[in-house]
Amino acid sequence: METNEKVSLLTRIKRNVTLGKVLTYVFLAIGALVMVWPFYWMISSAFKTQLEIVSFPPAFVPNSWAYLENFKIAFVKAPFAKYFFNSIVVTIACVACTTFTTILASFAFSRLNFKGRDLIFSLLLSFMMVPFEMVAMTNTTTITQFGLNNSLLGLIVPFTTSIYYTFILRNFFVSIPDSLYYSARIDGASNWQYLWKIMVPIAKPSLFTIILLNALTCWNSFFWPRIIITSAENRTLPFGLYAFMSEGGTEYGPYMAAATIVVVPMIALFLVARKYIVNGVARGGLKG
Amino acid sequence: MKIKIEHLTKRFGNFTAVDDFSTTFEDGELIALLGPSGCGKSTMLNMLSGILPVTEGKIYFDDDDVTDVSPDKRGVGLVFQNYALYPHMTVLQNICFPLEIQKMPKEERIAKAKEMAKLVHVDEFLDRKPGQLSGGQQQRVAIARALVKKPRLLLLDEPLSNLDARLRLEMREEIRRIQQETGITTVFVTHDQEEAMSISDHIVLMKLGVKQQYAEPQELYNDPANNFVADFLGNPPINKIFGVAKGGNFELEDGSASFPFELCSKVAEGTKVTLGIRAESAYPVATAEEAAFVGEVSSTYAMGKEELGYIKIGNQEFRAYIASELGYKKGDAINVGFKDRGVFLFVTETGERVR
Repeated sequence: METNEKVSLLTRIKRNVTLGKVLTYVFLAIGALVMVWPFYWMISSAFKTQLEIVSFPPAFVPNSWAYLENFKIAFVKAPFAKYFFNSIVVTIACVACTTFTTILASFAFSRLNFKGRDLIFSLLLSFMMVPFEMVAMTNTTTITQFGLNNSLLGLIVPFTTSIYYTFILRNFFVSIPDSLYYSARIDGASNWQYLWKIMVPIAKPSLFTIILLNALTCWNSFFWPRIIITSAENRTLPFGLYAFMSEGGTEYGPYMAAATIVVVPMIALFLVARKYIVNGVARGGLKG
Repeated sequence: MKIKIEHLTKRFGNFTAVDDFSTTFEDGELIALLGPSGCGKSTMLNMLSGILPVTEGKIYFDDDDVTDVSPDKRGVGLVFQNYALYPHMTVLQNICFPLEIQKMPKEERIAKAKEMAKLVHVDEFLDRKPGQLSGGQQQRVAIARALVKKPRLLLLDEPLSNLDARLRLEMREEIRRIQQETGITTVFVTHDQEEAMSISDHIVLMKLGVKQQYAEPQELYNDPANNFVADFLGNPPINKIFGVAKGGNFELEDGSASFPFELCSKVAEGTKVTLGIRAESAYPVATAEEAAFVGEVSSTYAMGKEELGYIKIGNQEFRAYIASELGYKKGDAINVGFKDRGVFLFVTETGERVR
């Protein structure tokens, strides 16, 4: 009996492993490698000596993961600590402001009834088609008139709202049944209380997604800081990295170390937030 | 709390959902808003709760005009058809929510919520999320949340429609029990006549936004105001025979039969009338003298001590209960007598009852 079962299990496995599946997985594996390889190469090179980097055949694994000379050079040659601090300040401020305005706007566009609501919303959506490079010109004038160029505030102010995230969150808010709203109103809650006590907690998964995407965009922002920032002490990381590469020597090790500093916080953030995005999806409490 | 509704009207564009509705609900009663779907009963409920603004008319809670008062200030509790529990909160947090909004101190509101959970028998599930509860439990939580702030009026929108048949019976009794224990004026919406008949003190029967009758359940059955009411209540449905009033006689439409019927003399000669007969109100009598008319048995179905028979008069048929020991068979002539109760005459065109 036992052998019979084993045999049947084996044949079943054989039957399930078709050529199509093998090809699918091979293809996926290649795709994954293509995606991950540059990151691996960047991080590993950050720990290699100059000799290892230029050696042939290339060294796939650094001699010692404790070789931190490249990071030291990067930090000495350019104020990466300051860049890092600037990036953190700008990202946190932008994300906090954008999230707040996005929540309010989404509530207005999904729940409040006012004249021209849908018209205004579709107008806003059409503004999404305008490329940022175009807006950047007028924004530069505005920011200069405010006297905010070459300041962190100048990096923050233009990015305190987002049509795209408002669009995402509004669509989620629309999917929350009306009965929850009316129920809360009858329970005595005001619009404001309903928004913060019911809607926002329910929308947590969407909010985390928005915050994550937004943080990523702010962190990686390069074009705008290049226009606005003129002095080294106000640079953010991506701009700082760019400046470092054009001002620094030809040693790849410190570049890779600097690039790692830019990238690692976002990877860490994603790994932490991913859990919330998945966990937050559980819903319930509504029937019918 | 007494609720007075005066000439209440709700229009959505050209469509009139509730039309000139006036009535008074007495304090402490359980009232059913009954009617087929689309009759405006939920619209009525939403206007009572304040969710929907009224087009015309007034609503009074006791002597206060609440017509333009917003839902959060009306002091009503509402249980939605889908219960509308807050999915991210536990049962306890859900029940506490109205008190939290009132800024009641934490210990006090938890104590009150627990008390309310006990009343509706969900005190074992306080730490669960709504998603982990069955339909019946969710509904109890929704009722507890509606009751915890001691509303003056409790409103239930199709409270039993999402439950399976057995649970529905159980929750029906529960709603009655909770209502009687709290003594709170309660209005619930249903399309199920049996549900309305079994637990309510009074029923409002509605059709196309118009109030048809407001009466006690038994009265609604025994003394319907019109054809629609008689038709809507009762199982098996009331028998209807269509005819014309002719010289105090009820004559079938095609003239195939005719018999004296007193009420027929109260309408104009030749008026089209409908005779409504409840199945239990027509019965076999011994002689043709006692009978209202003589018919013919067209089929019988055994139902234990009685048989449900189809009796033919002229070319129309109706149902009646016949004692099985009488042994009527298909094709037998049968003398049919009417009881005093459960036989009504309506004007066919208007549905109006002839008394």
